[in-house]
Amino acid sequence: MLDINVLLDAVVFSSLLTLLTMGLTLTYLTTKVPNFAHGSLGTVGIYLSLIVTRVLGVNIYMSIIPAFLVTGLVGVIQYILVLRPLDRRNASITTMMVATIAFELLLLSSLNILADYLSKTFFILSRYFQLKSYDFTFMDIRGVAFVAPLLVVVIIASLYFLLVRTKFGIAMRATIENSPLAGTVGINSNLVYLASWFIAGGLAGVAGSMLPLWFIGNPDTGSYLLISIFAAAVIGGIYNIYGAVIGGFVIGFAEILIIRLLASMGPPFGSWVIPYRPIIPLLAMVIVLMLAPRGITGTDFRKLATKFRRR
Amino acid sequence: MLPPEALFVLDLLATFVPYVIVTLSLNLEYGFAGVPNFGKTLAVAGGAFMVGLLPGRLLAAFLGVGEGMDYVAQNAFIITAINSRLSSDIALSFGTLLITLVAVVLFGAFLGLIMSAPVARLRMDYLGMTFLAVGEVLLVIGNNYPPLVGGTLGIATPDPFSWASNYSIFSLSGGEMRNLTVTAFMLLMALVVFLYVQRLTHSPLGRVLRAIRDDENSALALGKDARSYRIKVIVFAAAIAAIGGALYAFYTANVVATAYSRVSWTFWPWVMVILGGAANNLGVVVGTFVFVTVRKLIVFYKDIFAPFLPFDVVWLDLILLGLALIIILIYKPGGIIPEKPIDTIRVGPVPGTPGKAGGAEGEVEGKEKGTAKGKRTGLWGRLKPHRPA
Repeated sequence: MLDINVLLDAVVFSSLLTLLTMGLTLTYLTTKVPNFAHGSLGTVGIYLSLIVTRVLGVNIYMSIIPAFLVTGLVGVIQYILVLRPLDRRNASITTMMVATIAFELLLLSSLNILADYLSKTFFILSRYFQLKSYDFTFMDIRGVAFVAPLLVVVIIASLYFLLVRTKFGIAMRATIENSPLAGTVGINSNLVYLASWFIAGGLAGVAGSMLPLWFIGNPDTGSYLLISIFAAAVIGGIYNIYGAVIGGFVIGFAEILIIRLLASMGPPFGSWVIPYRPIIPLLAMVIVLMLAPRGITGTDFRKLATKFRRR
Repeated sequence: MLPPEALFVLDLLATFVPYVIVTLSLNLEYGFAGVPNFGKTLAVAGGAFMVGLLPGRLLAAFLGVGEGMDYVAQNAFIITAINSRLSSDIALSFGTLLITLVAVVLFGAFLGLIMSAPVARLRMDYLGMTFLAVGEVLLVIGNNYPPLVGGTLGIATPDPFSWASNYSIFSLSGGEMRNLTVTAFMLLMALVVFLYVQRLTHSPLGRVLRAIRDDENSALALGKDARSYRIKVIVFAAAIAAIGGALYAFYTANVVATAYSRVSWTFWPWVMVILGGAANNLGVVVGTFVFVTVRKLIVFYKDIFAPFLPFDVVWLDLILLGLALIIILIYKPGGIIPEKPIDTIRVGPVPGTPGKAGGAEGEVEGKEKGTAKGKRTGLWGRLKPHRPA
């Protein structure tokens, strides 16, 4: 019932989801707006890896670096052109959310244009594509199953190092805690915001660049992932960047294992449940929001338990 | 035969009406009540799915068509048989239309009730995320469960306007007469919705909604239950949006689940509302019209651009509209026609209390005569707005 491929499926998906969720949480912590374009930032990474492998003919794992840099830059552009002007005009949260939707429309149509351009100019498959054949195998297991979790570990470690050991990281945390107060002690909060948007976009790009090695890439892949990302961020606790790791793995494993489990069961379940996978992050999100809206890392479980006992 | 320009206008209006109904409902939620509904597509899909689900099966049972057949698998055959009966029976056509629209409104309100569940508990940003996630549910189910609306292939719906093709004015073809009639009916529905929403938002309810939007605590202090008002608004708006989805389904005469995507029926309506001016119904109508016209014009003149561009022109207009939205949000947050101050009655000092004698006299005089100042004026029966200097 639970063969190794299902497990690997869950591990790869959870790792990519974790990277995407960390970026979303980071921008939420600084700008206080859920970025509705975050999924499509990941799609930018997907197309960068397509260009690197199919057009430039370079090893797909080399695409991690340009994906991090270019997508990070896109994130910075989104902050400078869309969110910062609104923030300076004291726009409401809803207005800012709408602005991220506008950027999502821009990204989505730009990616579609890029896909059309790639297929018409270089005659490569640029929609519903996979890059499985560009991966290496190790012990009959495709390389990305090792690389993706390894990336998560490396990125968490370096993020921890950045936030705890460096002066800039401490300045970042101070800005997240209380931006005006951080400003009074001479921290350049503008630079901190730019850095967090760059890192967030970069992480999304890295996740995207690995995605076509295991899953199918399309201009709207990231938009479809958006609900899973939101669910992971909310479940992990959107006020804690390490919560994204918990949330990413909980949602990633839940989506894949629950669906496989139900699909392998007899009637009334069976293989017909597979397309209903998007319902799982939604249900998980609704349940968590109703019971513990601050997520796993933000909830005082002892308090919650006593609350239930009293009832 | 209609000239291509007239066909263009007809097609434009037929696309405009479902959208304007949806954007008016979104304006009720976002513009007036400040609810960030990023799951608009749920109610729209609900209305459309009801049209794919209900009238065909009802008529098949009523007319005894296609007994023992699978409604979805034999859909084309059954719908053709039903339409041939509908085309000669105007009363039955309108009866079907009426019953379907009532069902659509009820189902839309039900969906709104489900959507309003998290409203009391969550902040705006969490609410937006939850709405976005919930909005996709019907699409996922409709796309994968064929008995609902035919799955990925979609399903044809009975056409309650097929009788129109039997008549002809100005030597128009049958199909053109049908489209003309549908469009006229839809425009009428849009007008009804507009007048209803306009009345609603200029009533005391509309003022309470704006008060809750602007300062929830002050409204609570005045005894207005913000939560129940928000729930009411979401339910009303969902019922209205469902009508929009149903009309769209009736016009295209089929329902495909994937047509009710987040981009087409949540994001675009948001662009239209912000473009036109939130909390201003007329502005929203203008914004919707501008959006739909720009899109249709670009598609209409697509062949002129096509040779120069290595991609589909459709994506270019989305970039333009996305940019327009960002620019408007930053530089003209009120939209094309910004929100108007709340209509109030000019009230002078109460008679018998000290105050400016002239003003009081004038007021009392006006009231006594009962016409000049106390009378309701204007199309919507609103009183003359008083704008504080």
